[in-house]
Amino acid sequence: MSRSQQRLLGLAVSVAVVAVLIVWFGWIFPTNYKSADTRLVAQAFYIGVAAMGLNILTGYNGQVSIGHGAFFGVGAYTTALLMDHEYTFLGITYGHVSFLGTLLPCAIVTFVIGALVGFPALRVKGLYLALVTLGLAVIFPDLATRFVKGTGGTSLVALTPTELAAPSWFADHFPSLSAQDQWAYTMCFALAIVGLVGVWVIARSRFGRSLIAVRDHEAAASSVGIDLARTKVLAFALSAMYAGIAGSLSVLVLFNASADKVETFQNSIEFLVALVIGGTATVIGPIIGGFAVVYIDKWTKDAFPSKPVLSPAIFGIALIVLMYVLPDGVVGGSRRLFAWSRRTLQTRRARPAAPATPATPASTR
Amino acid sequence: MNDRRNARPFRARAGGAVVCLVAVSLLAAACGGNRSTAKPADNGGGTTTPGGTTSSTIIDTSACPNGANDTTGVSGDTITIGTSLPLSGVYAAFVAIKNGEQAYFDYVNANGGVEVAGKKYKIKLKAMDDQYIASQTSTNVQNMLSANNVFALFNVVGTKNNLGIRDLINAQCVPDLFAASGATQWGNHSFPWLVGSELVPYPLEVKTFVEYLKKTKPNATIAVLKANDDFGQSYADTLNDLIKGTQLKVVKTQEYDNTGAEVKTQVQSLAATHADAFVVAAALLACPNALTAASDANWHPITYMSGTCVSKLLFDLAGKAADGVFTVTPLLDPADPGNADDPAMKLYTQQITKQFPSKTATTDPHEGIIAYGWTTAALLVKTLENAKALNRASVMESARALTDLSGVGLQLHDSKWNTNANDWFIGETYQFIKWDATAGHSVPVGPLTDEDGKTAEVTPGNLINLK
Amino acid sequence: MALFFTQLLTGIQNGAVYASLAIALVLIFRTTGILNFAQGEMALFSTYLLWKFTDSGLTVWLAIIITMAISFVGGALIERVVIRPVEQSSALVIVIVTIGLFLAINSLAQVIYGSGQRAVPTFYPHHIWRPGGVIISSDTLVLVGVLAIECLLLFLLLQRTKLGLAFRGVSGNAESSRLLGVPVGRILMVGWGLSAAVGALAGAMAIPTTAGLVPSSMQQILVFAFAAAAIGGFDSVVGAVVGGIIVGVADALTIGYVNALHGIDLVVPFGLILLVLLFRPAGLFGSTHVERV
Repeated sequence: MSRSQQRLLGLAVSVAVVAVLIVWFGWIFPTNYKSADTRLVAQAFYIGVAAMGLNILTGYNGQVSIGHGAFFGVGAYTTALLMDHEYTFLGITYGHVSFLGTLLPCAIVTFVIGALVGFPALRVKGLYLALVTLGLAVIFPDLATRFVKGTGGTSLVALTPTELAAPSWFADHFPSLSAQDQWAYTMCFALAIVGLVGVWVIARSRFGRSLIAVRDHEAAASSVGIDLARTKVLAFALSAMYAGIAGSLSVLVLFNASADKVETFQNSIEFLVALVIGGTATVIGPIIGGFAVVYIDKWTKDAFPSKPVLSPAIFGIALIVLMYVLPDGVVGGSRRLFAWSRRTLQTRRARPAAPATPATPASTR
Repeated sequence: MNDRRNARPFRARAGGAVVCLVAVSLLAAACGGNRSTAKPADNGGGTTTPGGTTSSTIIDTSACPNGANDTTGVSGDTITIGTSLPLSGVYAAFVAIKNGEQAYFDYVNANGGVEVAGKKYKIKLKAMDDQYIASQTSTNVQNMLSANNVFALFNVVGTKNNLGIRDLINAQCVPDLFAASGATQWGNHSFPWLVGSELVPYPLEVKTFVEYLKKTKPNATIAVLKANDDFGQSYADTLNDLIKGTQLKVVKTQEYDNTGAEVKTQVQSLAATHADAFVVAAALLACPNALTAASDANWHPITYMSGTCVSKLLFDLAGKAADGVFTVTPLLDPADPGNADDPAMKLYTQQITKQFPSKTATTDPHEGIIAYGWTTAALLVKTLENAKALNRASVMESARALTDLSGVGLQLHDSKWNTNANDWFIGETYQFIKWDATAGHSVPVGPLTDEDGKTAEVTPGNLINLK
Repeated sequence: MALFFTQLLTGIQNGAVYASLAIALVLIFRTTGILNFAQGEMALFSTYLLWKFTDSGLTVWLAIIITMAISFVGGALIERVVIRPVEQSSALVIVIVTIGLFLAINSLAQVIYGSGQRAVPTFYPHHIWRPGGVIISSDTLVLVGVLAIECLLLFLLLQRTKLGLAFRGVSGNAESSRLLGVPVGRILMVGWGLSAAVGALAGAMAIPTTAGLVPSSMQQILVFAFAAAAIGGFDSVVGAVVGGIIVGVADALTIGYVNALHGIDLVVPFGLILLVLLFRPAGLFGSTHVERV
């Protein structure tokens, strides 16, 4: 087989696999599995979306944030409040919007907030930045409790089943995806795909390359003409927007938006864990990490149902073990596995016909 | 020249991605089931069986997904009841509630079970941990409902946690019995499937203390410490509303972070006002911390602590500083040796000791929090017994029509619990009590307070019916 | 005015607690460059041990010393067993490992000691003085005193002993130290052990001044300790102390005097971090690194 034929075959296999996955996750899975399962996978998708956002900031740009739970919360509140309430601003009344109608405002709000946070972050680096963002995660719930007047006068915004249900146009076109959990799932799936494509485009763009350049060596990047401030602030804003959209999606799955301090912190940590388990600075890693977080969490909870205090211990130990086994994440690990299997396969093939194919260099990463 | 060097990383990358994706889909497939078998919970309507024959006045089943005779969660002679409460995390000490509930259900089951409409059933409690996080509660409840294995929700802890699920349970016609919160939102008539527990509604607590002040010190100045959450806020709002038109005056309010228990600075600044009275709207460790800080500041006001602080252990942690602190309770104090010979108390102590031979903070029968769980479980059993039939609507109907219930669990003697079409609150008869630090238990102050049916009129503004 | 001084003292007392946990963070950061999320929970576990010892009748101060010794060994073991295998990995991986430790230790403490409140006694009598209306608690004096002694001992250890020299060498440049024959691995273990012991002391001082010990006791303190370490500079013990006191006092005075920030007083410590870092990106006492292109 010639090299170009090999590449063509590789491409064909990739396209086929992607098509199979889209059909499976887009149609077969939600129409055949129980709502408990679709909700779990929907959760994996939105955690994946948030982790994608964190990936832009932390993976590609090297700025660590442990405060993305706050952006997630802002997104959730924006969506929930717009769906449930009505606001009049400068004579324009806006509110009781459908879920899709909240996405744009949500994206704008979190983008702007992300940019605002990004500016001071220009001066602050590494660990110190991580702690400033931790501050966000800690302060946001207090602010929400104080300023949000939601359901029953509390800081929780609960949505009614009617508000959460699939819109009629969707139910008419896809009657077998019309149950609430299926609608929520479909939204999470669709936006995860959009997010994935977004990251893919960014990673291959000029902007993506400057993100990486800034991460790897700031001074060098700046000396070749990359606008450090613009790059970093934009990374922050985009990243916050992803987290915000993930928050919007969570409203469909959880039925409400609320800001609990423990929850916001846990979310921030979960996104980071998903990113690292999946593989930093990879396109597909965060979504795989989302699945990993959700399922490890579920399994640890199911392991000892009568002893819920034990499940965080198992989760924690699982994290540590995973980091030993896969320090470069699932994607990095799979790459190593793939490269290794190719290598062994090729050396075995190469042995009889000695000079035909020279041994491949060690795995490239 | 770069053709091969470029090709390889790409292939390695794509190959890796394919391996991952396949792994993920296998993983998702591994834990699946067939959707078509069990999915009534997801129907947005459509398969309604109209024309339920219950002579219902409050519970309208015409829009219920499973019609009037919904017996989901009952299989054979077992009724499965679901609950969600903090079993880990900051509020993990509330596991004591579950311990009390479990002990009562075990006791009932050991004696043949609960009789509903002529047949005996065993009660199975399915408890899920939510860490007191509302979205976690909501996930737990969705999972329990979509798996179709619980008949009703029971004693779900927290105001926000119940508010987060009330739309869902209302639409699916699942009883949310005895929400563990004294919030007034449970009086909202748009949500007939949710009823609060025997905890004293917060406005009545506040009213009782305000009445006491009016009698003993009509021109008292009041300082308030509240948790920076909705519970603290509604407490403070009610107080401000109830003192309107009196000579009582709130001179200062301070908030504390409810994920911790650090209140010293707040109390010091309250102490500096030398207010005559001190209202503490707090929970768990913040309660004793507040009392100690006040005493350290040499401030000895007439102190009222919210019912959420009523626990022997918490009072004991404050030591002498807790002496003379007022609060209310709908239950007999298990720490009071005067109650030891009471038959209900004997049964309770015996059963708890049998279930939990080792005495820890969450299993000691002297703990008021365990007594609360025990009593609420007894209230559930009573409600089931009173139901005309074993279906969700009839049981809900029964919870809405409690008449002169007495002797439930550790309910106070002479106390009667009532609910009807207009009055949706249970814990409206209660005892004003004062903590005696030397004796290590509470003593009643004055007679039993009976505010039956008055919660709504005491509650300020539209707090009950806030959407 | 009396109130002002009272709250200042409370702020200093809280600050001393934040400072001692921040010192623990700094000790680990200096040797391994790790931000240890599990620091608070390690201290929590130590404090449970302390409770166990005092509950079984041991004298409090003796119990504290034994607890610190056990914590030292525990910390060193954590470094050797849990951290060493990922030592060469990226900073993010190590952060995740310490988060894993955080979850595991917290939940193990709950499994072993239960979720209920435990009262931990002080080793000194509780006494209050009120000169001119200012409330001075023996807690404040003891906590500040213990912090001062702790700092002095750490200073002597780090600046006046061979071990300290090796320790500083490793934090300065691990590779060169290795070449000079310093047993780097053992020094890292000592760093973690020392940090765990200092954290245990923080717990042993802080918890008895409150009503009781619960599994979440150290979490709020850890957040403030993070703030303290960030303000002071992550590689400076002096910075941790100054940062701790600043955070404690700022928070107390905010609660006391800024009504607009009631319930959201955490804005202050984190606002301070931002403000300090804007002018000194490595904290007040931290050392900056110059990068070459």
